[in-house]
Amino acid sequence: MIISQSTMDVDFVRKVEALSGTSVRRCFQCGKCSAGCPMATFMEHPPNRVVRLLQLGQWQRILAGRSIWYCASCETCSTRCPNKVHLASIMDALRKLSWDAEGPSKESYVQLANKLFLQNIRTYGRQYEMRLAAVFNVKSGQFLKDLMLGPKLISKGKLKMFHSKNKNMPEIEKIFTRIEEMRKKGEAL
Amino acid sequence: MKDKLNYSYYPGCSLHASAGEYDLSTRELFKRLSIGLTEVPDWFCCGATPAHNVDELLSLSLCAKNLELAEQVEGDLAVACAACFSRLKTTQHVLAESDVKRKQVEKAIDAPLKLDGKVKHLLEILARDLGLERLAASVTKPLAGLKVACYYGCLLTRPNDVPNLDCVEAPTIMEDVLKAVGAETVAWSHRMECCGANFTLSRPGVVIQLTNAILESAKEAGADCVMVACPLCHGNLDIRQKEIEGVYNVNYGLPVFYITQLVGLACGLSSDKLGLGALIVNPMPLLKEKQLL
Repeated sequence: MIISQSTMDVDFVRKVEALSGTSVRRCFQCGKCSAGCPMATFMEHPPNRVVRLLQLGQWQRILAGRSIWYCASCETCSTRCPNKVHLASIMDALRKLSWDAEGPSKESYVQLANKLFLQNIRTYGRQYEMRLAAVFNVKSGQFLKDLMLGPKLISKGKLKMFHSKNKNMPEIEKIFTRIEEMRKKGEAL
Repeated sequence: MKDKLNYSYYPGCSLHASAGEYDLSTRELFKRLSIGLTEVPDWFCCGATPAHNVDELLSLSLCAKNLELAEQVEGDLAVACAACFSRLKTTQHVLAESDVKRKQVEKAIDAPLKLDGKVKHLLEILARDLGLERLAASVTKPLAGLKVACYYGCLLTRPNDVPNLDCVEAPTIMEDVLKAVGAETVAWSHRMECCGANFTLSRPGVVIQLTNAILESAKEAGADCVMVACPLCHGNLDIRQKEIEGVYNVNYGLPVFYITQLVGLACGLSSDKLGLGALIVNPMPLLKEKQLL
């Protein structure tokens, strides 16, 4: 198959544009985003190529790859784009679409960390770093990861063992459930 | 003399855990400068990077609810963490621009939105609300001879439309504050490069590589220490520094201070009140050498 502008999946591009509030089609491939991206060396498709693949209808390749999960959300690309393409928001939109499709991507560690982070908000209201790190290590099978940091951090009082009560917990749960309901009814993406 | 400055305060999750010394030094410094600071009762996580990474609506809703909670306390909202600051300001911006998202968020938090509350990073409060002159007048022990690499990281200034703290590519607000308290600042290449904070849990190898480049650049520029205004930058530069030195077989030995610690030191606060003992890279030898303790 020859890929070109005519193979663009317009419906998918529109969805990304609606979620991100920015234009995918306006990118003219100057490459400035990739030049300044601190994470480009870790990606199989650097940021400008992610946009080009979208323009050519190759979005499955992006959702299946690692690039979107290796974006650090540092906003350098959005800051420097001469065409005001907010690429960091496009990355958010693509991650959401990949996430909702339950991860065709090979990058599982970043997704696991995100998932645990969001679960922590729903359960405790705030992040408790030690709990987050411990559960991450167990679930990712890396039992010894960063173990050497633990005692030092505990002795410096940097790891909190217990969470404190938050009287807004019911309110937080309602935010999560209302969003789920809106999505079920098709009122939100 | 202007009226007393008063702020509501959103510390963010890190300041109640791994960055306790940032919280402590902020409260002590503000007390010393006679700036009122009242914590927003029962605030919760802003969602940080993981929430907007996969679920923008959730991220906007969590921030909008926190902004609503902050309304209970008088004064502009003071934020210490660069990531919370970025999320809260981005939320105000996005919701002011998009009617669709605004309606969705109002439904999610079941309350009408008020977006006119001002959100300010501690840096802005020191440099602009209090002002550099008044800040300089509070100094009792100028940080003379201390060469500091000011590290902005990503989210304090970027992107263009929000957060509007300073120039996106060549900010000077940190240097301005430090010069007002008598320190020297160095010119260096990596002051706005990302440390990879979001990957500290999932991909520490990435963080080690990016943070090494930052420390190397600060060292090459002749800095004695690094100053940050974000608990996530601090975690990588300070907590992981020893590990990085091991991986790259180098010796940086660069203490990493929070802005409130250095300004507090110049304003005569003791090491205990600034939580200097909680820093992983021991700053005491440097501070003794410069006769700042």
